[in-house]
Amino acid sequence: MLSRHRFQTILASIFVLACMLLTSCGASSQQTSSSSSGTQPVTLTWFMWSGSNQEVQAWQYDASLVTKQYPWIHIKFETTTFPDYWTKLETEAASGTLPDIVSLQSLRTPGFASNFRPLEPYINSNHFDVSAFNTTIIKGLTYQGSLRALPYDFGPLVIFYNKAMFNKYHVPYPSANWTYAEFLQDAQKMSHGNDYGFVASSLPDVWLPFALSSGAHYLTSNGQIDLTNPQLSDAFQNYAKLVYQYHVSPPITAPQVTATPSIWEAGNIGMVVDGPWDLINDKSTAKFDFGIAPIPTLSQGSISVVAGSGFGISTTTQYPDDAWKAISVLTGDTAEQYLATQGRAFSARTAEQQYWYKNAVPGADTALNQALTGAVPYVTTSNWNEVTTLIDQEGLKVLDGQESAAAALQSVNTRVSGA
Amino acid sequence: MIVKQPDTDQTSVDRGAPSIHSNVSRITAKDRRRLRHSKWREQGIAYLFLAPNILGFLFFTLFSLIVAFGLSLFRWSLLTPPEFTGLGNYIVLLTKDPVFHQVLLNTLYFVFGYVPLNMLLSLGIAIWLSGPIRAKNLFRIIMFLPVMTPAVGVALVWMLMYNYTPSGLINQTLAAVFHIQGPNWLGSDTWAMPAVILMSLWYGFGYNMLVFSAGLQAIPQHFYEAAAIDGAKRWQQFWSITLPLLTPSLFFGLVLTIITSFQVFDQVYILTLGGPGVDTTTLVFYTYQNGFTFFHMGYAATISTVLFLLIMVVTLAQFVLQKRWVHYEV
Repeated sequence: MLSRHRFQTILASIFVLACMLLTSCGASSQQTSSSSSGTQPVTLTWFMWSGSNQEVQAWQYDASLVTKQYPWIHIKFETTTFPDYWTKLETEAASGTLPDIVSLQSLRTPGFASNFRPLEPYINSNHFDVSAFNTTIIKGLTYQGSLRALPYDFGPLVIFYNKAMFNKYHVPYPSANWTYAEFLQDAQKMSHGNDYGFVASSLPDVWLPFALSSGAHYLTSNGQIDLTNPQLSDAFQNYAKLVYQYHVSPPITAPQVTATPSIWEAGNIGMVVDGPWDLINDKSTAKFDFGIAPIPTLSQGSISVVAGSGFGISTTTQYPDDAWKAISVLTGDTAEQYLATQGRAFSARTAEQQYWYKNAVPGADTALNQALTGAVPYVTTSNWNEVTTLIDQEGLKVLDGQESAAAALQSVNTRVSGA
Repeated sequence: MIVKQPDTDQTSVDRGAPSIHSNVSRITAKDRRRLRHSKWREQGIAYLFLAPNILGFLFFTLFSLIVAFGLSLFRWSLLTPPEFTGLGNYIVLLTKDPVFHQVLLNTLYFVFGYVPLNMLLSLGIAIWLSGPIRAKNLFRIIMFLPVMTPAVGVALVWMLMYNYTPSGLINQTLAAVFHIQGPNWLGSDTWAMPAVILMSLWYGFGYNMLVFSAGLQAIPQHFYEAAAIDGAKRWQQFWSITLPLLTPSLFFGLVLTIITSFQVFDQVYILTLGGPGVDTTTLVFYTYQNGFTFFHMGYAATISTVLFLLIMVVTLAQFVLQKRWVHYEV
């Protein structure tokens, strides 16, 4: 027969026990902090985005190269889709569970680079040759004066075109200096019924080249976002006409905004704007021959944007020296040669770019060289995640003709400039 | 709900004189102690059974609510330390945010579109399945299957069906059978929200159907027989017997459906990502976007607190109004 007092004691102890269990479940296990001596086996987690099985396999092969060179280092590869990668990275940073090796894209450097250790100490102490990498992408991955990630790829945004569609409608392939008028004409010739000449997206990466080639800008001279200038609205409006006026592009939905290459791979679209990093997916999925052409020339020429990505060491890793060794292999010449051959990376290492060309499609080298001569680095702001999401969303209405480009860009500008 | 022992009515016990019923024993002090112990024992056992639920509520719901409300008083972008802004976030949300009123309207659009259709559909099917149908339980299971499927899986399949480029199942059917060119369902400002509502209807009607079926089965048959004897037709029986006696289940279904429809997220995230523009951005999606895409954590907490208050007010209003239309006693 339990007395009231005794019973309350039992209840209280169950409560306390439950509290202890819950807090112990939540506590992260502390790694023993020891810099590697080269004999202790070490498992480093490496977080990188991917969009297909081919990509995952390429990265896992890369990771095995690290173990081949440094047998005590094992890499545990973690991945998610590209949009979710940034969400996860930030939440992991806030909860103190960042992986050891983290990947960084040049567009996201202003926003996320604070999670990455400056690499200068390792470069200097190991006499690492940074000049082997392309200078534009090194600049792209630099934040507050220090390099935050070793680049593995870079590339301009270019046009991928479906040769079978061009043949079907007897349209000559694009030349290296083709104009926007030719581009529009070709697209119109290929747009009948279910076939479209182009697939347009509101993702700024794919339409800013057209805007820049028309003389527009999206940043002020000191790097602040400026979407309200009339040249940009005009350029975006003209781009949107491809969808709602000329009907050379099908209307897409919000989840498809970042996935227009997949739509193109289906085979009924003539052209898409994409980058050399997608060659691996296109070669395995597209059942047609395709070619690469630079962005068609507009009033100011053919100005594309160059972006790229790399791998860095997280600020919270317990094994920074081992992580450095790992990323130097992941971006080393063997790995770069492999990634270039597979078509996953237009190599950031200048010497290895030839392997991408060798295994790309015919004519790719002319197209890429042409694109690179006029290209500018893709400079972004620290809140670029927000900027690009809002442009994606509002821009969709512009593509459908439901809103004017000026109004859409104005509303995005208001929302992102600290309103 | 704590099971209470009936209190021994001490005033009715006459200690001195013999009681009216000679076989009723007198309540002694020892008896009173035993009764008190067993009362606490029953209460204690009840608490033990409730403990997991209460602990879960305390830790995962109440604690999170309080933290979220606290977070809404700060500006925090996850990587920088939080800075206190008091009610600044609320003021921005209600006066300066160019999008919040649209988000609120979208949510109300969804609620007023989804809830009545859901109630009508599930009630209609529950009534149909309460009639003389063979294998009605099999039908009930089939109709409940969507509810048991993960929302994300359902939304992915519906996204493929709604596809415009290339044509999904819905547009292909419209073209082949009705010779109509279907719209870009998920990218059109007129059709995006109806598309989300339609998918939610298919997904969610089974739950209320089950609740109403149970409610229908609880109505005693003799009412119908008595009414039939009095000459009431089927429709009159439905209107005067079925509906009033079903009001408790209807109330339960209505309250839950309204609460969950204010919280719609999964479908929006998969089908439309809140687009086109902000045409399908609902309150919870806006919270998610502010918190995990834009990393304005304090602002996201503000939106979720406002949503919490909104749902609370609506639910309280419903509970107050129930006296007017819900009949609990037969």
